[in-house]
Amino acid sequence: MIPLSEDPFYLIEKWLKAKEFLVIGKSIQRIDAFEKVTGKAKFMEDYVLPNMVYVKLVLSSEPHARIKAIDVGRALKIRGVVGVLTAKDIPGENQVGYALPDQPLLAEGKVRYAGEPIALVAAEEPEIAFEASLAIKIDYEPLPPLLDPLEAMKRTDVLVHDERGSNIAFTTRVRKGDVTEGFRVADVIVKNEYRTQHQEHAYLETEGALAIPEIGGRITIISCAQYPHLAQAITARVLGIPASRIRIVQPYIGGGFGGKDDMGPLVAAKAALAAYKIGRPALLIYSREESMKSHCKREASIIRYKSGATKEGKLTAIEVEIIMDTGAYANRGPFILWRATMHASGPYEVPNAKVDGYCVYTNKVYQGSFRGFGNPDVQFAAEAQMDELANKLGMDPVEFRLKNILRPGSLTITSQLLDHSVGIAEALEIVAQRASWKEKRALYSKMKGRFRRGIGVACAWHGISTSRGVPDWSNAFIKIEKDGSIHVFTGIVEIGQGSPTTSHVQIVSEVLGVPVNYINMYFGTSDAPDTGATHASRGTSIGAIGVLVAAAKLRERLNKLAAELLECRPEEVIVRNGKAFVKGREEKYIMWKDLIKEAYARGIEMSATGFFFLPKGTFDHEKGQGFAYPAYSYIVNIAEVEVDIETGIVRVLRMWPALASGRIINPLAVEGQIEGAIAQGMGLALMEKVEFDERGVVINANFTDYVVPTIMDMPKVEKPVYVEDLFKYGPFGAKGVGEMALIPTPAAIANAVTHAIGIRVTELPLTPEKVYFLIRKRKMKG
Amino acid sequence: MAIFYLLPRFNYYKPKSLNEALKLLNDLENSKVLAGGTDLVLDMKIGRYKPENVIDISHLNELKYIKDDGKSIRIGAGTTLQTILESNIVRKKIPVLAEALEIMGSWQLRNVATIGGNLCNASPAADTAPPLMVLEAQLKLESIEGARYVPITKFFHGPRITELKRNELLTEIIIPYPPSNAGMKFLKLGRRAAHTLSIVAVATLITIKDDKFDIVRIALNSVAPTPLRAYKTEESLKDKPINLNVIEENVKRVAEEIKPISDVRASAEYRKEMSIVLTRDAILESLKMLNVKIGGEEF
Repeated sequence: MIPLSEDPFYLIEKWLKAKEFLVIGKSIQRIDAFEKVTGKAKFMEDYVLPNMVYVKLVLSSEPHARIKAIDVGRALKIRGVVGVLTAKDIPGENQVGYALPDQPLLAEGKVRYAGEPIALVAAEEPEIAFEASLAIKIDYEPLPPLLDPLEAMKRTDVLVHDERGSNIAFTTRVRKGDVTEGFRVADVIVKNEYRTQHQEHAYLETEGALAIPEIGGRITIISCAQYPHLAQAITARVLGIPASRIRIVQPYIGGGFGGKDDMGPLVAAKAALAAYKIGRPALLIYSREESMKSHCKREASIIRYKSGATKEGKLTAIEVEIIMDTGAYANRGPFILWRATMHASGPYEVPNAKVDGYCVYTNKVYQGSFRGFGNPDVQFAAEAQMDELANKLGMDPVEFRLKNILRPGSLTITSQLLDHSVGIAEALEIVAQRASWKEKRALYSKMKGRFRRGIGVACAWHGISTSRGVPDWSNAFIKIEKDGSIHVFTGIVEIGQGSPTTSHVQIVSEVLGVPVNYINMYFGTSDAPDTGATHASRGTSIGAIGVLVAAAKLRERLNKLAAELLECRPEEVIVRNGKAFVKGREEKYIMWKDLIKEAYARGIEMSATGFFFLPKGTFDHEKGQGFAYPAYSYIVNIAEVEVDIETGIVRVLRMWPALASGRIINPLAVEGQIEGAIAQGMGLALMEKVEFDERGVVINANFTDYVVPTIMDMPKVEKPVYVEDLFKYGPFGAKGVGEMALIPTPAAIANAVTHAIGIRVTELPLTPEKVYFLIRKRKMKG
Repeated sequence: MAIFYLLPRFNYYKPKSLNEALKLLNDLENSKVLAGGTDLVLDMKIGRYKPENVIDISHLNELKYIKDDGKSIRIGAGTTLQTILESNIVRKKIPVLAEALEIMGSWQLRNVATIGGNLCNASPAADTAPPLMVLEAQLKLESIEGARYVPITKFFHGPRITELKRNELLTEIIIPYPPSNAGMKFLKLGRRAAHTLSIVAVATLITIKDDKFDIVRIALNSVAPTPLRAYKTEESLKDKPINLNVIEENVKRVAEEIKPISDVRASAEYRKEMSIVLTRDAILESLKMLNVKIGGEEF
C-alpha cells in the first residue's frame, strides 16, 4: 500500500483543488528567454568536436525502383573519406517503422520515394563528404511509381510494399447508431468532397545529430528529437546494443512541430551508426533541400463527407470517408488516421455516425506527425459541413453549432461519456460576442464591390494523451540539493514552446513554495525517467504531471518535517518565497535552506520520482466505439478576411481565439502558442503546398518556391478567451495547448472566405489563383 | 559547420579599380562578375554556373553612387538596393523605383544585392526592370575599348541572357528625369505579402494632355522570357479620353503582348488575367498621383 502522501491520485487532486496561487496563472518570463534573445543559447550544431567526422546522406533519385547495386568504390578512394555505410552495415535491425514494421533506416532492396536515404558517407571534411556522396553510383531498376492514392488503393499489380499485398496500409472505422435511419429522419443533407495538401514543417533548424562514442561502449547523442527515450530505443535497435548504452542529450531545438518526433530518432540512429562503425564522433546535419525532400510531411487528405440535420437544427447522422496519402511508409500514418477518424464529427454530438479511414501507400515522401495530427483536415471538412447545413436550414452558424455542441454529459462519436472538462459551449458564446459575430455576419453578407469581407467560425476538439487504450504516463525526477536548490529531470523537450522552461518551473515553484530561480531544469534527456514524447500538446498537460507529483511528494515530506519543527499540524504549514511558516503566524518560520539542511540531517529523502500512469477505458476496434481519450481540449477560432475578387488575394484581417483547455498555467506562453499555431494554420489554409512532379519528386524543396507566411501576412490576433474547464488528471487541471489554435484555423479561414465570396471552398490551399478561378467560374455560370 | 552545397573551385580576383576589373574581364576566359552575390553564389552552388574565374567588384566604391546631374539620375551599378531605396533623390524624383525596391527580398538581402546585379542576372522576375523600363533608363556598358549606352528595353535577350558582350560590365544606370507631371506606380502580385518572387509585377508611367492620355508606359515582369514593355497597349491608350471603360477595354491587349509560362508559382492563364488587372490598377494609381480619380470604386 502506497501511503496517501505518496499516492499520485491523491496528490494530483489535492493540488487541483488549490484556490490561491503564487505563480500558477502568471506570465512569468521563460528561463531560456535571455539566452535565446542574446544568441547564447546552444543548439545541436554548436556542439562541434575535434576529431569529428562529417556525415552526408545519399538520397534516392528514383521514386520507385529496385536497387540492383550500390558502387561505393570510387567514393572510398577519395582522400579523406572515412567510410560509406549502407543497409548491409547495420549491425542490428534495419527496421524503424513506428506504427508498422515497414520502414528501413537505409533503403534495402528497393527505394520507395525520391529522397529516400540509401547510404551515409563519412569524411574528414564536409566538402569531402559532399564530393564522395556524388561519387556513389546506384544502379536502379525502375518500377512504375504510384502517385495518386485513389489509384493506388485500386491497384494490386504495382505494390509499394510487395510483402503487404495491398497499397492500403491501414484502415480505421467508427460505427455508432444507424446512419441509414439518421439520414432518413434528416430534413437537410449536405454532401461534399474536401481536399487538403502536404505541408512542410519548415522548422528553422533542419534535422541533425552528433553521436559521440564514450567509455564503456556507450554512445552519447546530441540530438534534436521530440522524444529522447524513443531516439534511445530506435538507436539501440539499429545498433543491436542495449538501450542503456545510449544516452540522449538535447540542447535547445529549433522547432519540431511533429516533424522531429518522427525524424529525431531516425537521424540520431544514422549519426550513431556512423560513430559506432567508425569509432569517432559523427555529425550529420540535413541541408534544407535534403530535409524538404526526405522528411515526413503533413498528410494530404481526401475527405468525403455527408451529414444530415433536422429542421430544428439537430444533427442526425454523418457518414465520412477519409483517405490519407501516407506516401512510401506508414510511419505514424495509422495513428494520424485514428485521430482523424475519432474526431471526424467535430466537437458535436451526433447520434449516428459511420466513418471509414484509409491510409494509402504511394511513391511519395511519407506522411508524418505535424501539429494537429490529422485533425486540421477533418475539422476543415466537418466545419464546412456545419456551415453548409446551417445555410440550408437558414440558421446562423454559431446558433446551429450551439445546438449540437459537446457539453458535460454528452456522448462523443465513439460513445464516450464526457463527464467533466467540456468548456467549448461557453467559449463559443463568449468569443462570438467579442467578435461581434452577428453584426459582422449580417453586414458582410450584403457587401458588394471588389473587396469583400467575410467572417467565419470553426470549432475543434483534440483528445489529450494517446488514443484508445494505448498506454500513456508521465514521470520526472526531482532532487533537492543540500543547499536548497532544486534539480528537475524531465524527458520533455524545449522545442520553442517553453513548457520545461515555464510551466514546469511554475509548477515546481508553486508546489514547493520557492522562487523560480531556485529551480534548475534538466530537460530533453534520456537521463531523466521516460516522460513520453513532447508531442500531442502533452508537454505540460501530461508531461508536467510527473513534475507535479514528484514535487508534491517532496512537499508532503517537508510539511511533515516543518510541522514538527514549528510545532503545528502539517496542513498548517505554508511555504512561500523560500520560507516555511505556520498559517496565520508568519513569525513562526524556518528558512527553506535550513529546512532542507534539517531534512538531510534527519535522513529524509530529498529526491522523488513522479510516475503517473493514466487510467484508460476499453475500445472496440471493430466498431470504433469506446474510450477514445482521457480528456479533450477545445478551441474556437473566428476569422475575419477580405477577398479581392479581382485577383483572388485573401487577407486574413483578424482572428479571435477562444480556448477551453483547462488551467492556463502561463498565459504569455499560451499566447505564443496560439499566435504561432495561427500563422502555421494560415499557411496551410492559404499558401503552403509541397508540389510533386509527374515522377513524384518534390519540386519546391526550398524556400524560394515553398512559401510560408511572413509577419506581413499575419492578422491581428485578439487576446484569447480562456474557459478554464479543469481536467482532473492535468497538473492543476491543465489540458493541452500547443496544437490547438492550428486545428480550426484552416476551417475558420475557409468558412470566412466562403462567406465573403458566396462560394463554398472545399480544397486547400486558397491561393489567389484558386480563389480567382472559383470566382470566375461562378461569374461565367452567371 | 555543415556544408550543404559544394561551391565549385574557381579563381578569385579582387581588382583594385574599375579599370583593373575591365582588364581582368577582358583577359579572363569563362568568368563571372560578383557584385552582391545573392544570385551568383547560389547559382554556383546549385551548378547553374561553373565559372573558372570570379571577378569581385563588390568593394569598388567607384560603382557606388546616386547622383542628380540636373537632367538625369545616375546610379552606380554597384549601389545596393537598400541604399537606393533610402535615397531621397530616388524617392522624390522616381518613386516608382523605390516602390519596387521596398518589396524586394528582405532588408538583409537588399543591403547586399546591387542594382547592377539584379539587371545583369536577367531573371524574368527582376523587379528593378519594370520601373527602369517605364523610366526609359539607359545602361552604360563599359569595356577596355570604351563605353556604350543601351536603352534598358534592349538589354534583356532572354532568361539570364543580356546585351553584355563577354568583356563588358554594366557600370551605370542613367535615368532621365521623368516628364513633369507624370504619375507612376509599381504593383506586384506574389504568393504572400513580403519576401516573395512576383507572379506578375507591373510598372506604369502616365502623363495627361487635354484630359487625354499622353505618355503611357507599361512594363511587366514574370510574364515572358524577359521583363518587357507593352508597347501596343501603350499605343492604344495614347490620346484616348480618360475613363474606366477606355482603360479596361485597352488593357486587355496586354495579354497579347506577353508570353507567360506555368510554373510552381502560378499558371500561365492566371498570369495573363493578372497582367490585365494589375496594369489597369497601376494606371489608375498613376492617375491618382495626378489627382485624377476615376472609376466607381475606392481602393
